[in-house]
Amino acid sequence: MMKKILFILMFTIIAGFAFAGNPSASADPGVDEIVEKANHMSLYQGASVKGRVDLRITDKQGRTRHRTLNILRRDNGEDGDQKYFTYFQAPADVRKMVFMVHKYANGKDDDRWLYMPAMDLVKRIASSDKRTSFVGSDFLYEDISGRNILEDFHELIKSTDKYYIIKNIPKNPGSVEFEHSIAHVDKLSFIPVKIEFYKKNNTLYRLMEVEEIKNIKAMEDGKKVVYPTTTKSVVKNLETGSTTEMIFSKVKYNLGIGDNLFTERYLRKPPRDVMR
Amino acid sequence: MNRLKKAMIDYSINHYKMVIFLLILVTIGAGSFLPRVTVDTDPENMLEKTEPVRIFHNQTKINFDLSDMVVVGVLNEDDPDGVFNPTTLSHIYELTKFAKTLRWQDKKDPAKYTGVIEVDMIAPSLTDHMSQGSPGTIKFEWLMEKPPSSREEARAIGNKIMSNPLLTGRMVSENGKALCLYLPLTDKLLSYKIFTLLNEKIKEIGGKEKYYITGLPVAEGAVGVEMFTEMKFASPLSMLVVLCLLMLFFRKWILIILPMIIATISIVVSMGLMIGMGYDVHILSSMLPIFLMSIAIVDSVHVLSEFFDVYTLEKGRKESIREVMHTLFVPMLYTSLTTAAGFLSLTLTSIPPARIFGGFLSVGIMIAFLCTIMFIPAYVMLIPERMLKNFGLAVQEKEKENWLTRSLKGIGFLTYKYAKPLMGVLAIVIVLAVWGISQTKINDNFSKRFALGHPIRTADIAMNKHFAGTYTAYLVLESGKKTGLCSDDLGKIQADFFKFADSISDTYENAPAFAEQLGEQFLSFVKKGTTLEAFFASAMEYIDRVATNATDKEYDAWQELNNYLGLEKERQKTFKQPEVLEYMAGLQKYLEQSGLVGKATSVCDVVSKVNQELLDGRPENFQIPDKMQKISECYMQFQQSHRPQDLWHLVTPDFQQANIMLQMTSGNSMDMEAVVKAVDAYFLRQAPPAKLTHEWAGLHYVNLFFQNKMFWEMLGSFLQSFIVVFIMMSILFRSIKWGLLCMVPLSITIAGIYGIVGIIGKDYDMPVAVLSVLSIGIAVDFSIHFLERCRITYQKEGAWEKVSPIMFGEPARAISRNVMVIAIGFLPLTIAKLVPYKVTGLMLFAILAFSGIITLLVLPAILKIAEKQFFKKTAPGRVDFARDVKEQS
Repeated sequence: MMKKILFILMFTIIAGFAFAGNPSASADPGVDEIVEKANHMSLYQGASVKGRVDLRITDKQGRTRHRTLNILRRDNGEDGDQKYFTYFQAPADVRKMVFMVHKYANGKDDDRWLYMPAMDLVKRIASSDKRTSFVGSDFLYEDISGRNILEDFHELIKSTDKYYIIKNIPKNPGSVEFEHSIAHVDKLSFIPVKIEFYKKNNTLYRLMEVEEIKNIKAMEDGKKVVYPTTTKSVVKNLETGSTTEMIFSKVKYNLGIGDNLFTERYLRKPPRDVMR
Repeated sequence: MNRLKKAMIDYSINHYKMVIFLLILVTIGAGSFLPRVTVDTDPENMLEKTEPVRIFHNQTKINFDLSDMVVVGVLNEDDPDGVFNPTTLSHIYELTKFAKTLRWQDKKDPAKYTGVIEVDMIAPSLTDHMSQGSPGTIKFEWLMEKPPSSREEARAIGNKIMSNPLLTGRMVSENGKALCLYLPLTDKLLSYKIFTLLNEKIKEIGGKEKYYITGLPVAEGAVGVEMFTEMKFASPLSMLVVLCLLMLFFRKWILIILPMIIATISIVVSMGLMIGMGYDVHILSSMLPIFLMSIAIVDSVHVLSEFFDVYTLEKGRKESIREVMHTLFVPMLYTSLTTAAGFLSLTLTSIPPARIFGGFLSVGIMIAFLCTIMFIPAYVMLIPERMLKNFGLAVQEKEKENWLTRSLKGIGFLTYKYAKPLMGVLAIVIVLAVWGISQTKINDNFSKRFALGHPIRTADIAMNKHFAGTYTAYLVLESGKKTGLCSDDLGKIQADFFKFADSISDTYENAPAFAEQLGEQFLSFVKKGTTLEAFFASAMEYIDRVATNATDKEYDAWQELNNYLGLEKERQKTFKQPEVLEYMAGLQKYLEQSGLVGKATSVCDVVSKVNQELLDGRPENFQIPDKMQKISECYMQFQQSHRPQDLWHLVTPDFQQANIMLQMTSGNSMDMEAVVKAVDAYFLRQAPPAKLTHEWAGLHYVNLFFQNKMFWEMLGSFLQSFIVVFIMMSILFRSIKWGLLCMVPLSITIAGIYGIVGIIGKDYDMPVAVLSVLSIGIAVDFSIHFLERCRITYQKEGAWEKVSPIMFGEPARAISRNVMVIAIGFLPLTIAKLVPYKVTGLMLFAILAFSGIITLLVLPAILKIAEKQFFKKTAPGRVDFARDVKEQS
């Protein structure tokens, strides 16, 4: 009898310590807060950003293709609308090609433009969804400009030492090819470092992973700040066997990019800022 | 030889229980491997794994990520809008959704899946559609994101498909009545499982539409299934018929099961050995039992026939069988050896299934021979004498003369009386036959392996009626081999580069100086084997390095130079060049207009379609742009879809290889050959604008290649065995003259059979070719038996006049019995659902009948005419087995 009581007592104490030893368990923020923070960290740091994107697409046979683009982003208000300007550097035969996107935080369809220099055409693009390939790579448009957090239900399914594990289920399942996705959000930086996309029957078919994060120094309102920025990420398409590595370099925040750059006028003749 | 013969026969007579025990043991031993059977129905395996055409075919499949496809055709001929009505489209939508789920975790590698490859499926709900939106807007959407809810919506989907030349004739028939879903498979061995599941789902969906499931993997799977059905059904039925016929001739069930036992033993042992040694059963080797049965029965019927004629109650079974075996040992040995040699010649071909078939068939033939020699005497010893009461010619002939003996006498009379006119008639037959052979069509058609009315054949006919064709071949164009740079090239590049730098010096004053700076480095970029592309890449890297810290003005100049080099680099990519694409488009048009090809699809169509939609959507803009950069923009735009990977089925990512997919409505290898010739002619007539090689892949082409190869190999093999048989005959008769005589009926038989094949227009394919070797074996068998007996009898009688009637007694009866038993016995094969079996049944009938008749007509006629040449010089000292018989008796 005595032994039994002692045992229960011991057990309670150990369990108590174990519980106390995991401070985050009780201190987890709500799922909406995590999702909002993660959304901010991956898409909205700084009022504007410019950088060079190098894409290396490797198919399942190991054959590679390269793309180099300059990408500029400008935000309109905190975590609100955004504008993207994407300018092709290489390969040379598509140099000067431009994609421009006006993205709306309220869930309205993006406005998209395309400029093709050789055909000398500016076209607006109407698309049924944003889950088409970004310049032929394994990244989708939605990976670049971000999936609107209003489009999914979010659920915090687990909290580990390092990550919040969030399950995202599309509100309109017919609009996308995946059934749900699982994001691993880094607890310190709130950057989603790994997102897995699943089809029916819990079949993993697509994987996006952050491989390198650099702290990029910048000025914000006259103060020195540091933005943890994803500089290398990889998307694997397990169905096609294709992999794309994206390297984000020459990253500069808050350069004061003007709003007028993101207009049709500049598609044909962007300023040197954009090109260099 | 004589000692061996005597020893073998004596042993089996004296130790018959032991012999039977050993045979049973061997049969059970070999038979125990039978359940391990694995089937190989892959037509590709007709070629060696190392065959360059096959290697190229497989490399092409890898290079362009092409998979074997199951094709589901949906037909609605009743609705005025064809398949474009809400019900049919929703059925298609549902079936597509279901097909996506047909994949399973790979047992070997759990991270992978086997089954339908969703990303490469072709279906309305999985296809991108590019069209004009509001003015200045280009629209990208799924062709059919969800099933339409109204007729208008359904028609709109139809119009979208019809506006896309990449889809018409392929996904949807031009008349809109039929639609195809293409389901690529990770492994074609899954096709039967998928076929079954699809059929279940189709039943569940219901509706008025007709569904046809086809595609090569399905056909292959069906061949495998049917093969077993035939082996289980048609072959035993043949056996039964043979048994009935034997009963008719010999009336003693205890004896007539002998040929069956011998056939069974040799089949079980040889098939057991084949399977035990790890060989797959191919469609050819699945016919091994039928071939072997015919050969084994021929031997044992000779024995039975002789035994029937020799046996008398007074002589007793022991002495009778001894006499029979002594008479027949040598002819049987030689017929077995020649037949085995004939099939053994197949092992020298480079057709793996033919090698296996030929090898094990020869083994089987020798087993059948051993069985006949060892088992028959032992078996006869096992039968109590009383059971043979009323057996034998002596008993029966006294009762009555039958139709067989009468008609044989008639033939004998004919050959004696009208020998010369008969030879004249045969000469005409030969001339006709030779003409017939010259009409031979070397052709094969995979779907025609299935008889009319078989679901696969029905589907094939229905689909090819509506579509531009379900038979696919790939014409792979490749830019000429890129060789390493030489100093001449470098000089030219440098000169051009400087010229360009000068030309922009007005705007970018630094350009010439920078160009010179870079030009000095040129040599350092070239290593052994450096290609132009790699050279330009190195030059561009150099600019990247030096330009990083340049002033804006300098940077601009560097950028222009960089761009120049970049474009030069892209110009190395052959299939981005407008003149090359124009050339390809011209070739496609030429092939389509020639009527040989239903539809040709390549990057030209992709580029033209994107160009059309980017410009304004007007049909006249469906064309290839005039500048590389414009083409590149089209390529890039195409890749910005849900399915960028579709491009890489048509061109490799380095743009050095392009694939023109050709669809043909005919599965005939002959028609494929016409396409190959047309393409060659086009290349000769119109030189390509760049160094281009062209090569073929795709099963339709592989099949054509195989047919041509097979024809020559089988012809070679046939000639080899012909020569081998001739040599063996000359040895057997110790005379070249007799050897030649032996070859006469056989040659006429084969000429006759293949003459008929040519005249009636039956395609000359693999089974037909293999049967020519069998013809040698069987026809020579009859000749040997006939001639041997002629010589023995002549020695006794001394004049053909006396020999002829004797020959048309028992020896002719043995041959006729054989002819009838096997010829009629194999006719049940013609009810088979697989055409090769039907053909085999019919051909066996023809070969047996023809060679039997020819042997009985031509040999006596020649001997009558040339009696002196053949018989006067019989050396008195010659040792032949006839003397043995005399000594024994």
